[in-house]
Amino acid sequence: MPQVSTANPLLAGASTRKYRTREDLIRFVLFLCAFLSILTTLSIIAILAWEAYSFFREVGVFDFLSGTRWTPLLEPRSFGVLPLVAGTAQIVVGASLIAIPVGLASAIYLAEFASAKVRRVLKPVLEILAGIPTVVYGYFALTFVTPLIAAVFPSTQIFNAASASIVVGIMVLPMTASLCDDALRAVPESLRQGAFALGATQFEVTLRVVLPAALSGVMASFVLAASRAIGETMAVTLAAGATPKMTLDPLQSIQTMTAYIVQVSLGDTPVGTVEYQTIFAVAALLFTITLGMNVIAHRVLARFREVYE
Amino acid sequence: MRSDRLRRRHATTKCFRLLCAAVAWAGIVILAVLLFHVSREGIRWLDLQFLTEFPSRFPEQAGIKSALWGTVWLIILTAGISIPVGVAAAIYLEEFSPKNRLSQLIEVNIGNLAGVPSIVYGILGLVLFVRFLALGRSVLAGSLTMTLLILPVIIIAAREALRAVPDSIRQAAFALGATRWQAVRAQVLPVALPGILTGVILAMSRAIGETAPLVMIGALTYVAFVPEGPMDAFTALPIQIFNWASRPQENFHQLAAAGIIVLLVTLLLMNATAVWIRQRAERTGR
Amino acid sequence: MNTLTKSDAQTLSTEQARPVLDVIDVTIRYGEKPAINKVSLSIPQHRITAIIGPSGCGKSTLLRAFNRMNDFIPNVGMEGQILYMGSDIYARQVDPVEVRRRIGMVFQKPNPFPKSIFQNVAWGPSINGFSGNLEARVEQSIRRAALWEEVSDRLHESALALSGGQQQRLCIARALAMEPDVILMDEPCSALDPVSTARIEDLMFELKERYTIVIVTHNMQQAARVSNLTAFLENGSLVEFGETDQVFTRPQHKRTEDYVTGRFG
Repeated sequence: MPQVSTANPLLAGASTRKYRTREDLIRFVLFLCAFLSILTTLSIIAILAWEAYSFFREVGVFDFLSGTRWTPLLEPRSFGVLPLVAGTAQIVVGASLIAIPVGLASAIYLAEFASAKVRRVLKPVLEILAGIPTVVYGYFALTFVTPLIAAVFPSTQIFNAASASIVVGIMVLPMTASLCDDALRAVPESLRQGAFALGATQFEVTLRVVLPAALSGVMASFVLAASRAIGETMAVTLAAGATPKMTLDPLQSIQTMTAYIVQVSLGDTPVGTVEYQTIFAVAALLFTITLGMNVIAHRVLARFREVYE
Repeated sequence: MRSDRLRRRHATTKCFRLLCAAVAWAGIVILAVLLFHVSREGIRWLDLQFLTEFPSRFPEQAGIKSALWGTVWLIILTAGISIPVGVAAAIYLEEFSPKNRLSQLIEVNIGNLAGVPSIVYGILGLVLFVRFLALGRSVLAGSLTMTLLILPVIIIAAREALRAVPDSIRQAAFALGATRWQAVRAQVLPVALPGILTGVILAMSRAIGETAPLVMIGALTYVAFVPEGPMDAFTALPIQIFNWASRPQENFHQLAAAGIIVLLVTLLLMNATAVWIRQRAERTGR
Repeated sequence: MNTLTKSDAQTLSTEQARPVLDVIDVTIRYGEKPAINKVSLSIPQHRITAIIGPSGCGKSTLLRAFNRMNDFIPNVGMEGQILYMGSDIYARQVDPVEVRRRIGMVFQKPNPFPKSIFQNVAWGPSINGFSGNLEARVEQSIRRAALWEEVSDRLHESALALSGGQQQRLCIARALAMEPDVILMDEPCSALDPVSTARIEDLMFELKERYTIVIVTHNMQQAARVSNLTAFLENGSLVEFGETDQVFTRPQHKRTEDYVTGRFG
């Protein structure tokens, strides 16, 4: 019970000071773990910048970004990255043609039509599809999709953009669907009710009210999915081939930025040569593009969430 | 009496609904086709010998022993490093961090790191661990690379689990004169644990399937032995699958399919565990 | 505004009990908006002091200032002083953890830890370096919270299996196990049924022999039933503070009279 004393009873004693030190120490260790993420980003940027800098002392930035011939490992060497960018773009466009309509339609079904029971079945299936390793999709492209395409179009090459596009589309589909689903479900119920009260049908409510209201969230989902497709590596390495070229024909062999990086790392290109440094230049480009897309998409999503909170 | 116009509007809704449903269920069809195709190709090669033999030039004698053990080593080391670090980071961000610019920067940064292509992590691992820290093409180098790759996943999942813990528990702990760490350690963490575990398992299954970073750091060499320490060279299951799938011969494709079956069964078991933990926590939570 | 001047407080303390908490000119702001405006009052030892007032008047904010629980809310600023046994609890050298060890709290909704009954009560002493007989301390605390008869045979079962009223008494036992001087109760019965409420009120009578209790309540009957002193807050300002009998039967302010007779609020 309280006793009369002149000393401040609340002043920290020796034991309190001891646990304070311990608490500060723990806090510091936890902070370091969180700060590791910043170090990771800085390391990535530093490594790519450093090696790309060496590369660009040999090859002009403009020649790199606008050249249309990519033959760094063959004579005569040429370091125009556009064929790799075109290959990647072809995959992204092809994958988007599948993932965007299918993903959005699935999301509309999940968010607007499906019963809770159906959701409970479909959501885990999407999660499983999202969890299948990319190398499996690569195998699937090579041994299942390509023969299927070849049966329809006999001119199809063994390695081709179409097959890789299709599996990359399937691969980013679950992500697209679940991000779109989140966006649609963020639209407040009152908006739907208001439209129904005006005599709109479910179709009109979905297309004229819900979708426009969720548009920025849906668009951000597409950007995130496209960024994922750009960074996809194993499926395109296995199925799309290793022939950097500028072509619009999806049945031909191409090469993406990621597949090129894998190709060099598998070979025995000596460390420190310009040929070797190409992978850092390509990776720097890849990192810049995907980071830019992600930052934009996250900004849009953050603003979208604010609107409905 | 319904007008023609109204009937047409209702018909549109019906068609639209059917279309969306068909497309959504197509996901299941694709999954089924994929699984069927892989099983049909690979089941013939799947026997005990496949699990206990080293890879070989002759398909009949080839197995995944070194790959399987490599994956086991890789996952144990990755889990051992990434789980404590990831959970600690999540605890800091959710329970300790002041709401200042630095914390915000860390948060945004983690979100962006989750979107960095895995091959870029491979390059980071190659330069930082394999060469700069001179760990060589070892299991340790692979695990450290994998750790950086899945840390954002773990942190995001663990933060969600911590956020789901009711604030009344923290208040009760603080009112008893607990420090932040005492409150987190004894009261908040146990409640968040099932959620954290679920996230951790999903992150680990991501690590098991990742191929590109391992290819980058040079795990794609012929390895006919089981690693005995963290500094030994290694190969891993997805690497072996990639290796076989990239050969032209039909037989090796089927070996790849057999490897895929092993990989998918492992992932399925892990996912099932995660679901089981989640459901058990929901049941005892009430 | 306050009826209790400094000299009144002194007479009160010499006649009845010395003040445990002295609130001097306290203003609390959320951002810019003041939630508590220049409140001064003295809370005497071994008495039950009730803080009443319409919802949103700042009574919980004031209560939470007494054990520095407002520290966890961002953008809360405080002016003035709160003295515990004559020492400023917001002084720079004072560790808020030390404050909360001496000034316990019971919350509006029962919030036992999702652990066993025993662990709920034992945790406070054990993190605070208690080295005596833990089991005896737990039993004593649960007995003082008038819960022992009901739980003595299932101490190691989950606290979540208890009824709401039992959970709230467990939370009181948990606070008692710290051997605090003061127990703050933030509408402790608002989530409970009338029978459980009556039990907690009985309990408070017993507890005031050993502890000083400050209770926030929106229920005027409860304040009239259990408290020795009542403070009436309105819009963050202290309107009236005095003996409960006097506040309820002969209020000195019109606003108080209107409120206690139910004419507004």
